[in-house]
Amino acid sequence: MSKNYIVENLKKQIGSFKSDAQAEKVGHVIEVFDGIAKISGLSDIKASEMVSFPNGEIGVTLNLEEDSIGVIILGDFSKIHEGDEVKAIGTILSVPVSDLQIGRVLNALGEPIDGKGAIKAVKSNPIEKVAPGVITRLSVSQAVQTGIKAIDALIPIGRGQRELIIGDRQTGKTAIVIDTILNQKGQDMICIYVSIGQKDSKLRKLQTRLEEGGAMDYTIIVSAGSSESAALSYIAPYTGVSIAEYFMDQGKDVLIIYDDLSKHAVAYREISLLLRRPPGREAFPGDVFYLHSRLLERACRRNKEYGGGSITALPIVETQSGDVTAYIPTNVISITDGQIFLETDLFYKGIRPAVNVGLSVSRVGSNAQIKAMKKVSGTLKLDLAQFRELEAFAQFGSDLDEGTKSQLERGKRAVEVLKQPQYAPVATEDQVVTLYALTKGFMDDVAIDKIKSFEEGLTEYARKNAKTFYKEVIEAKMWTDAGEQELVKVIGEYKSSFVK
Amino acid sequence: MATISINNLARAIYESSEKKDGMELDIVMKKAVSLISKKHLMSKSKEILTQLEKIIDKDEEVVRAKISSRIKIDKKVTDEIDDFIRKRYKAKHTVLEFVVDEKLLGGIKIEVGDEIIDMTLKNKIKKLQDYLITQ
Repeated sequence: MSKNYIVENLKKQIGSFKSDAQAEKVGHVIEVFDGIAKISGLSDIKASEMVSFPNGEIGVTLNLEEDSIGVIILGDFSKIHEGDEVKAIGTILSVPVSDLQIGRVLNALGEPIDGKGAIKAVKSNPIEKVAPGVITRLSVSQAVQTGIKAIDALIPIGRGQRELIIGDRQTGKTAIVIDTILNQKGQDMICIYVSIGQKDSKLRKLQTRLEEGGAMDYTIIVSAGSSESAALSYIAPYTGVSIAEYFMDQGKDVLIIYDDLSKHAVAYREISLLLRRPPGREAFPGDVFYLHSRLLERACRRNKEYGGGSITALPIVETQSGDVTAYIPTNVISITDGQIFLETDLFYKGIRPAVNVGLSVSRVGSNAQIKAMKKVSGTLKLDLAQFRELEAFAQFGSDLDEGTKSQLERGKRAVEVLKQPQYAPVATEDQVVTLYALTKGFMDDVAIDKIKSFEEGLTEYARKNAKTFYKEVIEAKMWTDAGEQELVKVIGEYKSSFVK
Repeated sequence: MATISINNLARAIYESSEKKDGMELDIVMKKAVSLISKKHLMSKSKEILTQLEKIIDKDEEVVRAKISSRIKIDKKVTDEIDDFIRKRYKAKHTVLEFVVDEKLLGGIKIEVGDEIIDMTLKNKIKKLQDYLITQ
């Protein structure tokens, strides 16, 4: 490239530059502290509008007061000084969205942080958007297969549903969502994992696990780490859902995970208190319900006329010593379409995933369950409920009648069948076979410590020998009499070989 | 009890002292000062005065402008600017403050309230820089 060429090029570019004198509204920083700036001037600024500081940092207006505005600074606030000139950018905070973001780790502003280079996004979406209206929606009728037996059978999740995962620390909340993401391979689902205020080491571990499982091919991670400012933690979930909406607009199904909303509420509380908004219960501001409801309301399933596509949301909330009556848990429970309740006691008893089946519900998911699964899991919930009741009762008396004994034995086996190691998702058809064998009593005479190996062998054997049954369940989502007879025969065969 | 905003206080002082003079104005002023002291707002007296000034300006249609330039501007240009400001901000009176700032390199900058009309060379170069970076 010759020197002349560069000069000519530059001349051309400068020649095409036009600058008109424009009246601009500016403000001045009155005070700046803890990621918050108070600014005078900027009289016609809108709420959630972006402002720029002299060193290039971006802020978002949250408080519009009589003679000043309150701004949260998205980035380093240490270089912002009192008296600095602030300009309004004129647009609501928006994040870049692109197909190229799949497989990447982004920060709360949608910029890549995984060191794999910049993403050239042509479009950007505002982070705050009104949720799709009622006429654009379709009711939930298609399943999200988590690959976890306890969830797929008893607390099914449908596409477009919002299912809360709630439990104390160290009860396997993140494990459930990782398993769910891993199981979405080949299910035509884009996953977005929003990490809010998590340790970077935890995120790194999760990313590695997803890469190993080949799940990063359809996953985006949005992260606002615990070392970053509360402002970024506050906007991260909205960034995630804006990216999700970009894919939903293309008619795709998206699964978004917010890990976790308790930390999100804490970040918002921090910002609100610094902005001197009045504190309410547990010092959270008055609009903390709206904070989460407007976020989760954006999860939906759209009907064909409006392009189809869905956003399924799995928010996570961490409780303190199992207290679900705290402010944030009750709020999010009431917003979502059900919850998966994880318990420390069950976790240490070795029942993992530690799902408390009694307290967990899915209010809309049963419509999304396939018919075959509905058939086998219908009696399972009853079995488990009766088992729990009898278990407590049986501790007092030793003389139990045959009926009670058999119910207890069945319950114990059901609990055993629902145990599942991490990173081992089970295909729906295999789940149906296992649960069929359990609920029809084929496992009643198998020793409890042998249940696991029986189950593994059975699915393997049935897959090879009960081909009609499998075909029917996969294609028609329900078996016929012929298929059922075949399965019963196959289970019988397997059982005789297993006992030997 | 709700706190009184500085703006409200300034407006109250303005309205109660409007069209009053002599003894009457003295009484109003004394009462205003005692109210400010009672509400522990003496430390905010500077802000109250600024706000009061703003209210008076708005009511009397006075526009205050700060004009910065690299060199001192002559009478002809000053009159033109004055005319421009009167038209743009629909002002009856103008109070112009002229500042000489060599850092601006050339051109002038007009500041009215929170609005800035920047026609300086410095700003133009900055815009060119941004333009070339984004191209």
